[in-house]
Amino acid sequence: MVDAARQPLIEVKAYTEVEKVEGFVGNFKVTLREKAKYVRADRCNGCAACAKACPVEVPNYFEMNLAPRKAAYIPMSQSVPLIYNIDMDACIHCYKCVEACGALEAIDFSMEDKVIEEDIGAIVVATGFGHFDPTPMTEYGYGRFPNVITAMEMERLNNSAGATHGRVVRPSDNVRPQRLAIINCVGSRDKRYNTSCSNFCCMYAIKNALLLKQMNPDMDISIYYIDIRTPSKGYEEFYDRAREAGIKFIQGRPAEITEDPDSHQLFIKSEDITLGRVIEHEYDMVMLNQAAVPQPDQNHMSSVLNVAQSPGGWFMEYHPKLRPNDSPTDGIFFAGACQGPKDIPASVSQGSAAAARASRILHSDTWQIEPTVAVVWPDRCVSGKGQACGICERACPYGAIDYTKGLSAEVITAKCHGCGACVGECPHDAITQLHYTDAQVLAQIRTLLAVEPEKKILAFRCQWCSYGGADLAGTSHFEYSANERGLRVMCSARMDADLIYEAYRLGAGAILYSGCHPQDCHYITGQIAGAKRAARLEKMFTRLGMSEGRFRTEWISAAEGDKYARVINEMQAALDAIPEEQLKAEIERLKPEMEKKLTKLNEIPGVEEAMIQVDFIVNEMLNKAVPV
Amino acid sequence: MSHTVITNNFAEQVKAIPGGEMLMMCFSCGTCTSKCMIQEKLEPNYNPRRLIREAVFNFEDTAFSDETTWLCTACDLCYPACPQKIHISGVITAVKQLAVAQGRQNPYQTAIVDETTCVACGLCVQVCPYQAITLVEKKVPFRGFISVAAVDPGKCMACGLCNAACRSTSIRLNQDFNDNHVVENLWSWLESEAV
Repeated sequence: MVDAARQPLIEVKAYTEVEKVEGFVGNFKVTLREKAKYVRADRCNGCAACAKACPVEVPNYFEMNLAPRKAAYIPMSQSVPLIYNIDMDACIHCYKCVEACGALEAIDFSMEDKVIEEDIGAIVVATGFGHFDPTPMTEYGYGRFPNVITAMEMERLNNSAGATHGRVVRPSDNVRPQRLAIINCVGSRDKRYNTSCSNFCCMYAIKNALLLKQMNPDMDISIYYIDIRTPSKGYEEFYDRAREAGIKFIQGRPAEITEDPDSHQLFIKSEDITLGRVIEHEYDMVMLNQAAVPQPDQNHMSSVLNVAQSPGGWFMEYHPKLRPNDSPTDGIFFAGACQGPKDIPASVSQGSAAAARASRILHSDTWQIEPTVAVVWPDRCVSGKGQACGICERACPYGAIDYTKGLSAEVITAKCHGCGACVGECPHDAITQLHYTDAQVLAQIRTLLAVEPEKKILAFRCQWCSYGGADLAGTSHFEYSANERGLRVMCSARMDADLIYEAYRLGAGAILYSGCHPQDCHYITGQIAGAKRAARLEKMFTRLGMSEGRFRTEWISAAEGDKYARVINEMQAALDAIPEEQLKAEIERLKPEMEKKLTKLNEIPGVEEAMIQVDFIVNEMLNKAVPV
Repeated sequence: MSHTVITNNFAEQVKAIPGGEMLMMCFSCGTCTSKCMIQEKLEPNYNPRRLIREAVFNFEDTAFSDETTWLCTACDLCYPACPQKIHISGVITAVKQLAVAQGRQNPYQTAIVDETTCVACGLCVQVCPYQAITLVEKKVPFRGFISVAAVDPGKCMACGLCNAACRSTSIRLNQDFNDNHVVENLWSWLESEAV
């Protein structure tokens, strides 16, 4: 950190909050709030005279409230930059610090928060993780029993700069514990709190146990665990060293900690899985190895940066395997545990990778983006003709569309991610998506339904999830009905109602409307828009008297190949259940209804020409007996 | 050494019964066993975690003769403690249902109805937390064809609520827990030095 602060090209803005992020890759406008420290950075030399003079003491957050700090303080002894700060919530305005500071005159009570705007090329988010508070787990008695402490508290007790100068003592009587237990998976791997594994706590428990054992060879240390996970290089060897040093590993998740109220001794009851017996041991002190959870303000940061969150609340990466550093927004990268719990080597690797990827942007004059962006036909946009609309602007999950009444809508191409939500929502067909234009998608539909459409199941799949699911069904050899005809668009939000109407007008037997699960959506809120439209369509088709099973909405992830196959087979069964004559009559009956909704279809640029070509191609294929 | 190949689909059968669906989710942490009051106070060999593993690996006979199958009272102390949110007593009840369906007898005595005095008032049916008691029409010696309470030994967990609720002392637990024995125990406790 000190090295980073000394590097002339790095500017450290401590005690500063990000308020707003606007713009796009290479051209971000970031609004920062530099909070008032009431100490002038250009004058403070970090001598600590103000802290010595300050008469106010408050709990020290950095020391896990085990030690006090003054109202004039630095958060920790290695703070960078080393500038003192006055905590206005605690200050009693005695001005003793001003006296103590003397001729330096660094303390300035008239300072105010400064809001500044900076031009930023790329952003690396490294906001880290928070700690699970074990208080709700009443069975472990944290908060009630003084000698039950958390891992972070142990960290501060064990630190030579910490509250006890590195002496590990029982909070109840300040005596060094002889018997210590460490309980793993407190709040992690627990469906009641956090389902996921917190990744580093096994190693962390072993590290703490080994450290304490080396300092106090007579200390009896036990680690309670469900599974010990030591998958990286050298980790298993480290685990071995701990066993060699005499640390006991007990497989079994404790159900309960009880306390003797006089001596504050603790009793842990757990089943020893290997023995198959319930055992109860007495300990002087218990450390709860609590789960890593997202920062308390992770939701706020996610909306400021406009990046989505994965299940569990962590920031969502562009792709879990191939682009784990990138956010779905171009130019924003993740480093470390803000993207998911990870240990130090992994965080450092990700940080280096994020910096390298960010510097690619900073060293380029231009930046290539995905070509599947949205484009407005200004002559079709009703806003340009003076009507109030703005539907596209509201549909866009990225704020990439500028709508001003009186002017036709405009897409900021660099911000567009190509989900096609605006295209799907625009009631006037005034926006199209390159490579997925209405003409192109309609041409595909017409080709797929050229022969015996009433027997076909037309599956609209989103590029990221259900298309992957269908792909997996194929590569995994899951058999499903051969009457399925798949069609790819970028997101379920792109699945325009017109496309569905057209497919039914052409006589499609059944239609599958599929996309990601809501939390997996690649385009933040794209799936939500898609799901709303699908629900609307489903209601309408029921009202029109469509047979059950001819329209189905399913959310299928790329890992659910079996589900894809099952859904298609179920749809085939539903289609088979409708007598052929009845189905044909129903299709004929609904045709005029669909035509009514599609009056303007041929006005869309490119559609008419595309249809002529499709008819030609289909005819050629039929002539040459190519299966359609 | 002989090798055993188990070919039944016991785990599937357990999963098919409502309550047993979550069977395969157990990662064997042992929280349920160390939380259990029956294990602590009554039977040291009682172990729900072991029973779940027996079910997972299709050890049907072992599961049926396991004390855990028959002693669980479905107090559900383990349910809120389970990190995998498995309704453990649901799984145990499913195993017990299969055992009873295959003609296994509960090795521990369940509630006994005295059919000579039962008036079929239905009070026991109402209080039973396990829905183990029903009123049936049957022929009773000296009383003819009448309606009396009947206990399903597959569901009864011998809690004694019916015994306490019955106004004609027509339903009782076995000799260790019948009214006389409990009163005797109470007296000896009241006269002991501990009080």
